Amino acid sequence: MKRFFGMWAVIGAVLAGLVGIFYAFYVLAALGAKGAVALGLPGFFGSSIVNAVTLMAVTLMTLAALLTVAERKWSAAMQDRIGANRIKVFGSALGGVPYLLADALKMLTKESTFPAARSKFLFELAPVLAFSPTFALFAVIPVGPEVLVFGQNVGMWVANPDAGLLWIFALAGISVYGTTLAGWASNNRVGLLGAVRASAQMISYEVSLGLSLVGVMIAYRTVSLQQMAIAQGVAVLGPVPALGILLQPLGFLVFFTSAFAETKRAPFDLPEGESEIVGYFLEYSGMKFGLLFLAEFVEIAVLAAVTAAVFLGGWHPIFFEGWMKANLPPVLFAAVCAASFLAKVIFLTWLQLIIRWLLPRFRYDQIQGLCWKLLLPAAIANVFVTGAAVLIDPTLTLLAWIGVAEIALIFGITLASSKPRAVGHAHGDAHGHAAPAAGH
Amino acid sequence: MPYQLENQPANVRESMYFPEIFRAIGLVVTTFWRNAFFSRDENPDILERDRSRNRVSTIQYPEEKAPYPPGYRGLHRLVPRPDGSPRCVACFMCATACPAQCIYIEAGEVEGDPIEKYPKQFVIDELRCVVCGFCVEACPKDAIRMDTGDHPPPTYTREGQIYDEKRLLRGPPVSYEKDPWLVRPSRLSEAMLKLDRASARPYGVDGGDEYAQTPGFSVRQLAAEARARGEAGK
Repeated sequence: MKRFFGMWAVIGAVLAGLVGIFYAFYVLAALGAKGAVALGLPGFFGSSIVNAVTLMAVTLMTLAALLTVAERKWSAAMQDRIGANRIKVFGSALGGVPYLLADALKMLTKESTFPAARSKFLFELAPVLAFSPTFALFAVIPVGPEVLVFGQNVGMWVANPDAGLLWIFALAGISVYGTTLAGWASNNRVGLLGAVRASAQMISYEVSLGLSLVGVMIAYRTVSLQQMAIAQGVAVLGPVPALGILLQPLGFLVFFTSAFAETKRAPFDLPEGESEIVGYFLEYSGMKFGLLFLAEFVEIAVLAAVTAAVFLGGWHPIFFEGWMKANLPPVLFAAVCAASFLAKVIFLTWLQLIIRWLLPRFRYDQIQGLCWKLLLPAAIANVFVTGAAVLIDPTLTLLAWIGVAEIALIFGITLASSKPRAVGHAHGDAHGHAAPAAGH
Repeated sequence: MPYQLENQPANVRESMYFPEIFRAIGLVVTTFWRNAFFSRDENPDILERDRSRNRVSTIQYPEEKAPYPPGYRGLHRLVPRPDGSPRCVACFMCATACPAQCIYIEAGEVEGDPIEKYPKQFVIDELRCVVCGFCVEACPKDAIRMDTGDHPPPTYTREGQIYDEKRLLRGPPVSYEKDPWLVRPSRLSEAMLKLDRASARPYGVDGGDEYAQTPGFSVRQLAAEARARGEAGK
């Protein structure tokens, strides 16, 4: 029981801490904006630079680093284990967090080895190309709403381009180069095999990734993530807001699956396999490997952030939103919004780990089959249905009802099929009379 | 012959993937919350653990140790008398019986006692020991036992595995009614003798089969239970 209440206390403390941190981030961004105005520049120059530090360098990197610990501890909880707890600080394992330091120390002090026949420039470039595009993806994510602090309009995002989703597609496309070059430049046939697998898989899934978001673009009539976040706060079915997952449940499934495949993690971890091809990073060691490794975790966090921004209501806290907006000071309300966004991100990373542990990895032809035969037709059908629904009813009500029907259908099929398939008499026949009879 | 498995193609529901995935998500989430939100039963006996809420069955080895079964031949100990000196009289029976020749004894005469001896040095090399238990069987004084319930702990050096009388002499003291130093004139004071006689127990008829075991374990009691169950002939 002590642990039960302790866990709820930890969750509450994390949420409260997030609110406090984002309150501080808003104040810092406002100070940055004031500084920029004092220098005669537009205010958002300053707040963007401050946000680049606070959101990308601090929040995203902390999240990615903590994910390495979470992967150990959460995976352990899913598998009836305890998980990493041998490093103890004053007798307490601290939930495995000290492993962060151990990992960093290991990565930084390991010897960096190079294959002699590598392509020198590309070998150095590949980890950077793998890491930086995924890292830069976070720039367009709207973490919090725009609010007036110290007389400055401050938003919790680094950049607000009109082409927000297109930026995501573009950079997701570039991140293929990192893995491909890593395999090719190390001049190792096994590494190259992993790289070819990775590039084929990522390029395939980018098609369904792009198409799954077309429905969202049609529904919200924008490609800007900020506009999408605002549009998701508008009520559409009575008090229910027009969340992306309500309007586009099929789009959500296709997008989440495709983005999952983009991260190259189980069950889509064909590019790496310790027992067959080691992976495209086979020849990398030390911090270069660390960068490729960290890129994977950054990718998880960014994928969760994009999913939360597009499908789970962005920074809208959804529950008690109207009450909080009316009763809380505006900056505190904005901080609560930003904290709820990060809570959604953490929830989605947790969901990814769950999926990682419950599915066996696909065969390579199954991966391609899933993409081209299932996700792509589903995404195309989704685009046409969404387009027709928006054309008939521009208020999105019809689309929301279609979404409700889709969710009901998905739930219905899942619940109706909860009886496991009959195995047949295979067991009994195998060592009964059938076996000797077959021998004759 | 291996099992005949029906290798049938996936049906429509299975090729949709998501129904089974959603069900599995429910399963993993349940496991996760149970293990994350409820504390682990730390009983070292896993089968006795309450796993109705938290399902973790790990034993955190150096801190938690699974109990060895009764009668487990563990690390030796030299049984002390109530006054703390070893019961051993340096008769060399154990060293003679030892097939691995891992016991080294150097005998000394007890000051002021015409016949009694004591081990000046009693050294067991646990790396050479084959854990056969012959030394325990051979001992006429019930002075060496393997009832510590633990294996020799690992060490970083070979020297750490060589146990001398100072490390071996531990555990609860034992004294018997017929112990010579209790019945004949001895160097012990009257008060000490009285105390020792009070704690002494009758010596077993057929050697230390009962008392030389793990505390709480009794061969005779098990035999009595078996007789009560009608398994006497087996």
